[in-house]
Amino acid sequence: MAHGHKSDEKVVYVGDSRVKKSGRIDGTPPDYTAFPGKSEAFIPNFLLKEWMVGCVVLVGFLVWVMAEAAPLGYPADPTNASFIPMPDWYFLFLYQFLKYPYVSQDYVLLGTIGVPAIMFGALLLAPFLDTGKERRFYRRPIASSLMLLSLAAVTYLTVVSWSHYQDQLEEKGIVPEHHERAEKVREALERGEERPSFLKTDATPALIEADDPAFSIVEAQCISCHAADLGGGAGPSLIGIGNRLSSEEIAEIITHGTEGGMPAFEGMISDEEITQISEWLAKQTQS
Amino acid sequence: MSNHEHQDSKHQPAQRNEMSRRQFLSYTLGGTTAFMVGGAVLPMVRFAVDPLLAKGGGATLVKVIEESKVTEEPQEVKFKVSQVDGWYKSETEKVAWISKDASGKVFALSPVCKHLGCTVFWNTHGRNEYDCPCHDARYSKDGKNITVANSPLDEYEVDIQDGVVYLGGIIPNTRA
Amino acid sequence: MFKSIYNWIDERLDITPLWRDVADHEVPEHVNPAHHFSAFVYCFGGLTFFITVIQILSGMFLTMYYVPDVIHAYASVDYLQHQIPFGKIVRGMHHFGASLVIVMMFLHTLRVFFTGSYKAPREMNWVVGMLIFFIMLGLGFTGYLLPWDNKAYFATKVGVEIAASVPYIGDYIASFLYGGDIVGAQTLTRFFAIHVFFLPGALIAMLAAHFIMIRRQGISGPL
Repeated sequence: MAHGHKSDEKVVYVGDSRVKKSGRIDGTPPDYTAFPGKSEAFIPNFLLKEWMVGCVVLVGFLVWVMAEAAPLGYPADPTNASFIPMPDWYFLFLYQFLKYPYVSQDYVLLGTIGVPAIMFGALLLAPFLDTGKERRFYRRPIASSLMLLSLAAVTYLTVVSWSHYQDQLEEKGIVPEHHERAEKVREALERGEERPSFLKTDATPALIEADDPAFSIVEAQCISCHAADLGGGAGPSLIGIGNRLSSEEIAEIITHGTEGGMPAFEGMISDEEITQISEWLAKQTQS
Repeated sequence: MSNHEHQDSKHQPAQRNEMSRRQFLSYTLGGTTAFMVGGAVLPMVRFAVDPLLAKGGGATLVKVIEESKVTEEPQEVKFKVSQVDGWYKSETEKVAWISKDASGKVFALSPVCKHLGCTVFWNTHGRNEYDCPCHDARYSKDGKNITVANSPLDEYEVDIQDGVVYLGGIIPNTRA
Repeated sequence: MFKSIYNWIDERLDITPLWRDVADHEVPEHVNPAHHFSAFVYCFGGLTFFITVIQILSGMFLTMYYVPDVIHAYASVDYLQHQIPFGKIVRGMHHFGASLVIVMMFLHTLRVFFTGSYKAPREMNWVVGMLIFFIMLGLGFTGYLLPWDNKAYFATKVGVEIAASVPYIGDYIASFLYGGDIVGAQTLTRFFAIHVFFLPGALIAMLAAHFIMIRRQGISGPL
């Protein structure tokens, strides 16, 4: 029994695994008067000033998130070939870096592992590489200039990557998905329709008369662009095309191609085959 | 904050019964904290409590049975309703016990026991009552609670068009 | 009332020194923007922490609606952003806050670097800070997949392919991250687990170490 001992204490602890009293009972942390000039208590004096800055940032941040919606594209579709993948902006410099010679192809290891490992390793171990006593950046020319150089390189790579992406979008006439999607939703709601979900519904609908001999010609000629189930790939989906086009119109497109990139098949397959295909495709209607 | 003894050296008129500089700063800091917490957290709280504030959508009426087939003896009817639960749309099956009262008025009871939510069944013990298998709660044909449960069975909204009974949303019992 | 509860606990656990140390420590003039406006560069660390707290809170709230499943992930994000009041703001906070954390952390790192504050005796704190930086990048990478739209899908694919190019262990890393051979259902649940449990756990531990070291060593002196 531990009772009875040290009866002057308010609490008698059982056993000896008790909470240790703080050694700094006078409340004097190591930096109390270490520096010249006026110092002030963390709470409330200093924290108030810090949080004034915090308030400004918070208000700016809230205005930003209210003004701009977080982007959301179309549901992930592994077969989508026209999508230009982009990482988040803070990875762009690495993404761009990997496009250069000597860090790609035969040297790809240098790009994915070598250089990043050296750069990030150096950053991680900076205090052990830059061991001088001097703290002012202009008295540490090597460390400072390496950092400035890296900063310039990262900025340059990011800007190049982003402007390349913008050029690609313009060249291919692509509107970024999240803008297109937001626009479609807005239009649908304006027309008083239900909010579109963009999710693919179930499996692709079945083809009509898939045993028709015309399908074998289609399989040979068309599926590289229109996909094996004709659900669309680089070219548009042909499912339900009979609802939109007549067999003559389809024959016209097959013969002469389209401006959207479909090649003209005139001469590549016979006219009878074109007629056969277009008549079969015209039967592909969906309710 | 209890450490008022550590006061600013510039604080001379100590006699005046005003706030000390430190107190003033503490209150301002508290206000700023409240502003920041509020600004960041209130939108999230509103986001989280949305289900409390959302109005229940009016249930659509579903055709379940011809009026002529409804008898005074309650019978079980099952019907499907399309249920939208957030992003999840599904068809769920619901059960109603449908019967006529003495005046020939059709009514439908929900078989969810008002005691603890088990499913009641008509006449399992031959007493012409609804019996709950869990804690032996009993209800009359009108759904009035006899024992255990402390409120009557809920009803479905009933609508009769061209001799067909349609059921809608759940409403409190109007008969017991 | 509060005072007596506090005293009751304090008698047993001696908690006063814990918060006294934080509340009463003196902050020197050279980091105080009220004395020297240029000292606002010392605010970036605090702001990083503030935005991180917003990230943790908004993330917790987002998981009330989000489902880490290939069939429902996209629909649930769509629903929570567009159908729930303030969903746009909460998801916006999390999405844009991620960028803001990176920016603030970047500026904080540069401040520490250019003021030479990482020098002895504060080397370890710099290393811990760098680990926090990497954890944040990891959070950004794993979080990018969760809405399960095309951008998420392809960026993850590219990211994991980069990891897969590591010699010898690359393929193992890739199948560990994919949870299989493809970016699919198992990748999504993995990334979700890493994003909401593993990395935040590591982050909180590292932040604690970061702050404890700052209190132990005090802030670096004026230049």
